Amino acid sequence: MLASQIGYYSLILGLLMSFLITPICIKNFYNNKIIDIKIFSFSFLQFFLVFLSFFALIISFVISDFSNETVFNNSHSSKPLFYKIAGTWGNHEGSLLLWLLVLTFFIFLFIIKSNDQPKKYRILTILFQQIIIVGFFLFILSTSNPFGYLFPTPKEGLGLNPILQDPALAIHPPILYLGYVGSSIIFSASLAGIVQNYISKKWAKHIKIWILISWIFLTLGIMLGSIWAYYELGWGGFWFWDPVENVSLMPWLCLTALLHSILVLEKKSSLTSWTVILSIATFTFSMCGTFLVRSGILNSVHTFANDPSRGIFILIFLSILILISLVVFFLFHKEKKNEISKIYFLSKETSILINNWFVMYFLSVVLIGTVYPIFLEVISNEKISVGPPFYNKLIMPFLIFFLIFMSIGPKLHWIKTRFKKIKIQFFLLFIFSSFISFLIIKNMSFKNLINSFLISAAFYLFFITLKDFFSKEFSNLSQKISHFGFSLLILSILLNSLFSSELTTNLKVGEKISFKKGIISFESIENKKYKNYKSIVGYFRIEDNEKRLTILKPELRIYNQPYTITSEANIKTTLYSDKFLVMNLVKGNEYFNIRYQVKPFMIWVWISTLIIVLGGIHSLFKKNHEK
Amino acid sequence: MKTKKFFLILLVILNFKILYAIEPNNEILKNKILKNIRCLICQGQSVYDSQSDFAISMKLVIDQKINEGLSESEIYDYLKDQYGQWISYDPEFNKKTFILWGLPILLFVIGGVIVSKKLIILK
Repeated sequence: MLASQIGYYSLILGLLMSFLITPICIKNFYNNKIIDIKIFSFSFLQFFLVFLSFFALIISFVISDFSNETVFNNSHSSKPLFYKIAGTWGNHEGSLLLWLLVLTFFIFLFIIKSNDQPKKYRILTILFQQIIIVGFFLFILSTSNPFGYLFPTPKEGLGLNPILQDPALAIHPPILYLGYVGSSIIFSASLAGIVQNYISKKWAKHIKIWILISWIFLTLGIMLGSIWAYYELGWGGFWFWDPVENVSLMPWLCLTALLHSILVLEKKSSLTSWTVILSIATFTFSMCGTFLVRSGILNSVHTFANDPSRGIFILIFLSILILISLVVFFLFHKEKKNEISKIYFLSKETSILINNWFVMYFLSVVLIGTVYPIFLEVISNEKISVGPPFYNKLIMPFLIFFLIFMSIGPKLHWIKTRFKKIKIQFFLLFIFSSFISFLIIKNMSFKNLINSFLISAAFYLFFITLKDFFSKEFSNLSQKISHFGFSLLILSILLNSLFSSELTTNLKVGEKISFKKGIISFESIENKKYKNYKSIVGYFRIEDNEKRLTILKPELRIYNQPYTITSEANIKTTLYSDKFLVMNLVKGNEYFNIRYQVKPFMIWVWISTLIIVLGGIHSLFKKNHEK
Repeated sequence: MKTKKFFLILLVILNFKILYAIEPNNEILKNKILKNIRCLICQGQSVYDSQSDFAISMKLVIDQKINEGLSESEIYDYLKDQYGQWISYDPEFNKKTFILWGLPILLFVIGGVIVSKKLIILK
């Protein structure tokens, strides 16, 4: 009760801070040589107030204060403490407050970390950022107040959706938001950079850190969501091309393109306009993501809050931001005259351009695939579904060339490379990779031309990057690590999807079923009672033809509040493959529906993503010893 | 070192044959179809991923159709007839979806033109 009050009023005070900071910024912009210390203090105060508000919400969740509407809707007194806390951002209102918290934290961080930048540029960045901050304050206060008051106070809350009660999902939103919100700094900074005509090598160097930070967190956030989907939501799948997954993939693709094009700007002060456009687009996609998810116009497993008024607010807000960036871009942006706008054919710049070209294509596929069905339904009232087959058909053939360019590109030098520098071993490795993929495809019952090319290309990148680790040239280790990770990711996804196999059947306790590779026997079930759910654990013995034994214990959980049945898969992970077993109730009899899956190289999907991230982290922390 | 690695890789690859396919052929086809059709009463799940009543009865229908000897595309056609385009995750190419399929490719071509304009080809 008290906590809610504190939270609500500190939120309002936080908004007032914006109206203090803005005039100070404008005055400071024209007056002093140095930045006004008040901007520091008020920005910190704003961050502190939002933090206080967020903390108050956590407290309300911890003490199960059901007079708070958000707590009532999303919590229950019998929930474990960890999920009471995680429940704070497991709902619409709380997650927006978290977004705002990160937003104010990042701008404060930007202010203290950008001392070496020009004053006017810094102030303008703060101003643009304040527009976003005010927008979010108004959004939260007007449509999604987390501190709504309920009277009379309900005795018990409605509970958190059990599929969200999970450790991976507890940290997934904060990590993802760090990525999303980081892109807002890039957005504001590039607008400020345009106005000040400051898009230069120096700017690129400074903004690259923010790009890396957002990129790292966004990658990790998407991975966590995917891991969660793998063992909780899916039946062994980890990427569904679900619209909500797609909207997180779009800013990621944009950021990845930006991460590459910023290098050209940093080294050659070329591609300025394009880099700026990408910076703006990244944040726009992050916002679009929020709009599409929050407005509920997407048909997805993620839509836990559907409210049209919210959608309209974000849509207007988004349009204002886009309008501002367009105006700024066309009024202030000038192509620098000394910029080398032509690029030689065989050079690193070319390969980065090609990278951007392909990544933008992938982005357009994802974007069109996600929004086209919505438009079609509005226009012609016809519903179509766009799913995995669509994305596979449009992405996979292009991925082959993308991987090949990715193998060769980093070998090229800046400005110019001569043909003879491209060595014969590239071709040898290519033949070797094709040979391996031939062996793999030969072992399969069905043939697919695109798959075999894709495997060859992925192996090619794999070997080339692997070879690089052993060569003496240690320039740009981060790039090598990330590209190596990417090849590993594509390989493990491909081999996983090609060689996964499964068995679905109905069994009752005591029964056995034999299949090509062994016997599954359903030994027993055990009932357990926990604080907020009852659990049925099944014991399964799986004996393969070589007499190796695996015990798997999948679980069914019957949550009391809200009443939901979830099935928890039991997964035995090895470096070689995952054994995955889920069971489900069959209505009206004693049989259980079980699905047993063998998924080769599953763990490598996660490991390779971590390797990709590692490359980013390395780049973030390395000293600038190389030219 | 290098040969060792090579044989290691070879070993892994040859093992796939043993790993691959624990299910009968019908099951492979069935699962493939189930993954490509939408559970109409769920929030964005395929029939394969769902345990709803609709999904369960759908699985039986697909089983029956495979046993009747229908081919994969015939089954999709049957389903689209019954439930409309909404059920299939693989949108048809027709006059309502040509933008969906064509626009990305068009953008790719435009991108290619822009990129190549930026380049000077060394003689």
